[in-house]
Amino acid sequence: MSAKTRTAGPELRRSVTPWGSFSWGYSDVGADIFVGLGLVLAWAAGASNVAFLFAGVVYVCIGLAYTELASTYPVAGGGQYFVMRGLGDLFGFIAGWAVLLDFTIDVTLFAWSSVDYTSQLIPALVNSIHPWLHFIVVLSLVLGLCLLNVIGVRESTAFNGFVSALDVLSETLILCLGFLFAFRPSLLVHAMQFNWPTPYELMLGTSLAIVSFVGLESISQAAQETQRPASIIPRTSVSLILTILIFALAYSNLALGLHPWHPIADASGHSLQFWQIFPHNSDNQGKAVALLAAQVPYYGVIAALYVPVLGAVLLLISSNSGVFGSSRIAYAMSRSNLLPSIFQHVHRRFRTPAISIVFFSTIAVVELIFAAAPALYPAVASLYARFFHGENGLGFLADLYAFGAATSYSFVFLGLIGLRLRDPLSPRKFKIPLNVPMRFHGERVEFPLIAVIGFIGIFSILLFTLRTHALGRIFGPSWLLLGILLYLVYRRHRRLPLLRSQKHDWREAQVEILRSSGELELMDEYIANVKASDARRAGKPS
Amino acid sequence: MLIVRGALAVAMILCGIVILARTLTMLGAGLAILPGVVLAVAMIALGLHRLSLIRRARKAT
Repeated sequence: MSAKTRTAGPELRRSVTPWGSFSWGYSDVGADIFVGLGLVLAWAAGASNVAFLFAGVVYVCIGLAYTELASTYPVAGGGQYFVMRGLGDLFGFIAGWAVLLDFTIDVTLFAWSSVDYTSQLIPALVNSIHPWLHFIVVLSLVLGLCLLNVIGVRESTAFNGFVSALDVLSETLILCLGFLFAFRPSLLVHAMQFNWPTPYELMLGTSLAIVSFVGLESISQAAQETQRPASIIPRTSVSLILTILIFALAYSNLALGLHPWHPIADASGHSLQFWQIFPHNSDNQGKAVALLAAQVPYYGVIAALYVPVLGAVLLLISSNSGVFGSSRIAYAMSRSNLLPSIFQHVHRRFRTPAISIVFFSTIAVVELIFAAAPALYPAVASLYARFFHGENGLGFLADLYAFGAATSYSFVFLGLIGLRLRDPLSPRKFKIPLNVPMRFHGERVEFPLIAVIGFIGIFSILLFTLRTHALGRIFGPSWLLLGILLYLVYRRHRRLPLLRSQKHDWREAQVEILRSSGELELMDEYIANVKASDARRAGKPS
Repeated sequence: MLIVRGALAVAMILCGIVILARTLTMLGAGLAILPGVVLAVAMIALGLHRLSLIRRARKAT
């Protein structure tokens, strides 16, 4: 192997600092609780905190896996790259295709929810009252983001950092003041004891809770632009993982035990607990954090005005990351011969992957039409009611989001195990804990037990999704089957192996990755490991 | 700045300890206390993680 490397084209500038890396991830994952909280409260009721706990534990495992993989292989390809390297081209494609589903849903779901939060201040945008206006505004947002990305305008890291800092501060205030002035432990215990959901509802709620933890791809997306990624990523990722987990658990506990500042009553005048405003009310489900903030004594007066705006902005940033991320993943997959080369095409004038952006934005628009159709046309609503448990727009999008996330994360765990076995020579500055030392093909390897636990957890969430999501179990697998068909046609057209992998020089690639990331000590360590391994295999002393 | 960050990390650990102590007094509620315990442990872990980062930053300067 030669340590001499070459650069094929212009590289991404490594200018992301530790705070930049944190805020990049936070603006993506942190927005999820704004969408997930209402959906989980609607279905898991008194067990919402348990649903978040289960999904949260799985999410910690996923976060640790991404942290190890992104710091060991700091490339922008993300999950599909790790899986392709650990399990081969076909599985890499499936993982990447599932991530692409998530990114396209991300665009629509977060734009939809952004409008829901805005409707807290502008009632004309409430979906159940003016569905056409809601649809047109969401559509305009999706098309606007598509246009901005085509002409190459992105929100800056500084703007991301500002919004993230404001959001962390606001959420901390909501939680601290909420627990201080409005939290009644007896209400929490009462809700858990008397409003425990059925097993079906708990499975549905748990699968929706994973929606609050999606977006860890951004850790690896940021890796290629982070200074000294092997050192910085573990530091920022652990903070990010714990912050998101704390917010999710704290919000769900607070929502169940919240004594509303302003009394809430149903149509017949019976007083309700706060969480009871979410079942069967999709308008409320889409703006749960704003409704909760408004019920915090004193602070709620101010929070009612600015939390909807903050939520709308954060969700719009997350929606934009879907447009940007899908084109980048498609670009990376195309470079690995997993997708046609058209997805690498860069617009001459704007220097952006315009075709990719337009293609995946079009898919996002199709998903929006499916989601909005029941509200727009009564005939479609009755069709959904007959065949799909009457799912609403937000539910439809969350279904597919959960399916895509559970599928891609399942493969990432398998990819991590594969890489631990097949690539033990790459230095890992961060390793997920609980490893079993063993020998594999003559090399000492460490088998990651957390990856097995995480895989069981996320795979059970995938099964919950298939069992309980009437639309997700049809559209999700259909998306995967369509993708596999396209993959096989493309590989056959290019005369590449259909089910096997093409030849990759991973050693050369790893040296180049470490060199370009500035991790020169790790590069030297890797080269020394490779030489020692080769000498051992040849029977020579190292 | 490091002092402020350190104070916030210590505050987070203290909050976590208070939540843990209050949650453990309700052992009779059974499963209901589990999310509270995990929340408290996560807060303590994040506080400790932040403190270790601050210690590393101080060493580096």
